[in-house]
Amino acid sequence: MTGLLPTLLRRLGFYALATWAALTLNFVVPRLMPGDPAQAIFARFQGSLDPAALDAMRTAFGVSDTPIWSQYFQYLLHTAQGELGTSLVYFPAPVTEVIGTGLLWTVFLAGVSVVVAFLVGSALGAWAAWRRGGWLDRIGPPLLALIGAFPYFWLAMVAVWALGFQLGWFPVRHAYGVDVSPGWSLAFLVSMTQHAVLPAGTMVLASLGGWLLTMRNTMVGVLDTDAVRYAHIRGLPPHRILWHYAVRNAMLPSLTSFGMAIGFVLSGALLTEIVFGYPGQGYLLLQAVRGQDYPLLQGLFLTISLAVLAANFGVDVLTLALDPRTRR
Amino acid sequence: MNHPTTSQHAVFSLVVAAGLACAPPSHDRPEGVMVVVQEQQSAWLRNFNPFLPVGSSRWPSAAGVHEPLLIYSPMTGDYTPWLAESFRWDVPAEQLTFRLRPDVLWSDGTPLTAQDVAFTFSLIQAHKALDQGGVWKLLAAVDAPDTHTVTFRFKEPFSPGLLEVGHTPIVPEHVWSKVEDPVTFTNPDPVASGPFTEVVRFESQVFELGRNPHHRSGPTGVERLRFPAFSSNDQITLALAQGDIDWAGAFVPAVERSFIGRDPDNHHAWFPIVGDTVFLYPNTTVAPLDQPSVRKAISLAIDREKVVQVAMYDYTVPAHPTGLSDGYAEWRIDPVPEASSWVRHDPARAEQMLDDAGFPRGADGLRQNPDGTPLTIELTIPAGWSDWVRAARVIARDLRAIGIDVRVQGRDFTAWFDAVARGEFSLSLGWAASGPTPYRMYRTLMDPDGVEPIGQPAAGNWGRHASPRARALLDAFERTTDRAEHLRLAHALQAVFLEEAPALPLFPSASWGEANTRWVTGFPSEANPYARLSPNAFPEPLLVLTHLQWRDTEAAP
Repeated sequence: MTGLLPTLLRRLGFYALATWAALTLNFVVPRLMPGDPAQAIFARFQGSLDPAALDAMRTAFGVSDTPIWSQYFQYLLHTAQGELGTSLVYFPAPVTEVIGTGLLWTVFLAGVSVVVAFLVGSALGAWAAWRRGGWLDRIGPPLLALIGAFPYFWLAMVAVWALGFQLGWFPVRHAYGVDVSPGWSLAFLVSMTQHAVLPAGTMVLASLGGWLLTMRNTMVGVLDTDAVRYAHIRGLPPHRILWHYAVRNAMLPSLTSFGMAIGFVLSGALLTEIVFGYPGQGYLLLQAVRGQDYPLLQGLFLTISLAVLAANFGVDVLTLALDPRTRR
Repeated sequence: MNHPTTSQHAVFSLVVAAGLACAPPSHDRPEGVMVVVQEQQSAWLRNFNPFLPVGSSRWPSAAGVHEPLLIYSPMTGDYTPWLAESFRWDVPAEQLTFRLRPDVLWSDGTPLTAQDVAFTFSLIQAHKALDQGGVWKLLAAVDAPDTHTVTFRFKEPFSPGLLEVGHTPIVPEHVWSKVEDPVTFTNPDPVASGPFTEVVRFESQVFELGRNPHHRSGPTGVERLRFPAFSSNDQITLALAQGDIDWAGAFVPAVERSFIGRDPDNHHAWFPIVGDTVFLYPNTTVAPLDQPSVRKAISLAIDREKVVQVAMYDYTVPAHPTGLSDGYAEWRIDPVPEASSWVRHDPARAEQMLDDAGFPRGADGLRQNPDGTPLTIELTIPAGWSDWVRAARVIARDLRAIGIDVRVQGRDFTAWFDAVARGEFSLSLGWAASGPTPYRMYRTLMDPDGVEPIGQPAAGNWGRHASPRARALLDAFERTTDRAEHLRLAHALQAVFLEEAPALPLFPSASWGEANTRWVTGFPSEANPYARLSPNAFPEPLLVLTHLQWRDTEAAP
């Protein structure tokens, strides 16, 4: 117990180092691409942009010839001040505003999908292991693994075509209907839910198998331990053994994956966004890469790396709480 | 407590949520609201600055909000007076005077005057980043002698400059003169002269523009333009099929079946072949592509029928020998004498020409350079452009058949463009500039003034072909405004092109346009070609927007 605080501080130090490394990579990686941002704009114009206007654009973009080191320190300083700069593809919109168009939708869609898939998948996995050889255990893992093995793009297209286009049960595009506006109205919330069913549903379906298998396989091991057998012999009620002894121990690997998955939520779900015309971070990332939009790339990578680090930290803390062996 | 139900509960609530959502998509349309899709974006950012690049500012900025003096359309082959009611050359190719319409009001009710026009031009002179057409490379001065007259003086005689001047969007002085930095100004609530200027709704997923209360066109019943955000072509195709879009400019595969066939009375597509021609560019500084006979042989080996069929789904046709698309029909030498044409499929003639030029076939059947090394050429293309990738494969196969070993090399778009602009390639596919006359295309392909050293990015003339004869003709073209003289010079330019073969025309691009007339009518069509149906070229959509009528919904099927 005495080791808890120093352990936490050590972890924090590690996370500070990781943050710096991520920031540096965010700066370096986009600049390794050939060409420069103004050239990318020029390309979008199919060469009809006047070269003098291109030079002026370059200046307006702040594409400068100052040494890369001074640009790097400038970047670190600005980032520390929360200053992410101006997007080039969406010039002159600030990077924060551009990211703002997709962030909440991504948090909502991908967040809900990951949480639902994790909860449902792990619960099914625990139950499959508890009733080993039962119908769920026989059908669930192979079926979900099969669905998960389909290319996601294909699964999503089938959902759009069959449930949306042919049957007309669900809207096939956008995050809400054009006849409502975002706000705390019932009509909007209903519309938002309707529009999330297909994208979130396909994402859950595609990832359910992974959660189920992880949980089931760990559970099988845990159920075979002496501790669980002893609990049975002691005559503890089965549900108490399942949830308090078996699941709590078997959850640790799933929890770690869950932390990672939550962290990567902010990178968006590009394929989902494209197939369902859903706003989000994934498409912005694609646009930023295409347009060599360094500031937007840095901003997106920053939110992603911070989210991954924060989620990992959260899992670390949770693991410390759940498993006393890790407090050393 | 019975724990299994916990997981059952989760599944059950998912099903319930799904059940609640079982409402079919609504196809109702509020009266007067027209749905337009041109840009592909996942979310909108509010920007109506008409001088910023596409992608930065929203499509209507220069196609419904702000207006130019004139509008050129390749369908009519002529300029339509717009904010100007007339124009004339006081001194041919040197001094140009516009007479403005007297009845134009800004959307705030103040009159649009010659001062506003002069101000607009001084604005883009002061801020180079806004002068995307480079109009101030041509102009010496802009004056407004009275409230309805504007005069432009050119530095040097340059008659094609009418396009740059005529197409510049005009902004109000009383608003823009107070803007601190017009380059970063997003013009969120535009004061403008176009038919749709009021931003009635702006959300990241959809925005709507209402009518300009002071616009000179009468009531049309189209009260609002609605722009939903679409990020992919597949989604647009689906929405078109469902009848949820009234006007779009997307490439739709198998359009007869996937769009028109779903409602033949209302769904219309019109893909006139008036766009830029796609060329196979040889780098004329690289041996053996520096020899015109080799370039012509390559061209003769290409089966363009096959290219068009495989790469473009027969939406277009093989290029005219002069490279000029149907948009320039009246400018073309037609027919081109068989002897001088190398834009046709004749592999036997191609082999003959290569044999004569000293590139014999080796033991492996592939041709060799005169020094005995294998004749291998790399064909560079942007990797993701599936139509060009298919075209390149057909070309590579055709060239292999005459013994040239062509390797297709796909690159990321920006890297590809960078290499092509710098002249660091051997063969590449590419486009060429277009305009009201053939002048721009031939300047792009042959002008010595446009040739940059290898390694320096060039705005045009990627193949680095310098033709002094073409320059002389271009000079003469720039100096006259006489149509008959222009025609004569255009024919002479075509003759030079046919002789020197600076680039090999493959096929002209179609201009994609789809319309749904269930709610709105008056779109251009093959029967009524007053403009292109495609909303993709500025400022032509203004011609369309002012022709549209809301359909009497009682009468609608």
